[in-house]
Amino acid sequence: MEREKNTYSGGRRYRNNDITVYWKPDACVHASYCYRELIEVFDPGRRPWVDMNGASTDRIIEVVNMCPTEALTWKWNDEEKNREISPDQTNHVIFRRPELLTEIEKAVQGNPVSVKIMMDGPIVIKGDFHFQYSGNNKEMKDGIISICRCGASNHLPFCDGSHRKIGFEDK
Amino acid sequence: METNDNDKSSVIVEVIDGGPLKITGQILLKDQKKDISDNSVEVLLCRCGRSCNKPYCDGAHKN
Repeated sequence: MEREKNTYSGGRRYRNNDITVYWKPDACVHASYCYRELIEVFDPGRRPWVDMNGASTDRIIEVVNMCPTEALTWKWNDEEKNREISPDQTNHVIFRRPELLTEIEKAVQGNPVSVKIMMDGPIVIKGDFHFQYSGNNKEMKDGIISICRCGASNHLPFCDGSHRKIGFEDK
Repeated sequence: METNDNDKSSVIVEVIDGGPLKITGQILLKDQKKDISDNSVEVLLCRCGRSCNKPYCDGAHKN
């Protein structure tokens, strides 16, 4: 593992062959998801505290996506793969820290609003858009909303997970 | 000097009372399998779960 460029302005970064995880200490609110879920990778008592060899890439992405702030974010090392990131990858840098994208990635991404139909689940809308609901017009900046598609939510129009209870299926 | 935000193709997501979700503007609409469309001008998406043409609305909520 190369050690040389593990700092950048604003924090530290950690790589494996697939991804880079960015750590921004100022943003941490100590919600503790990272080390409770994956102490093998995120161990506050160790230096360096992130060990990218401690778990699979998929698992690291999963746990980084749990971070409620921009303290932990990630991106693929392969620029091509950063061009198409779905909104459920909540802590990809495109959603949390777009300043960390390369110029190429930024140019390709542009600023499209992405609307993703989750299988047997809600509609997830991400980006800059106007959200009109019950006579209100809310301007969403880099926003994300999840709209119920099964009709059973108790918090309509938003998804509250009820689709699982009722066994909603796309078919 | 402020620039006019409205001249950019802005996207409007509207919850229609008792009806579908109406999205106007340029969006990237995706389902699990593929990009459905990358250049939509307007789509109506089912919110009641009863459409036979999911994810689109087919008016089934009225029944």
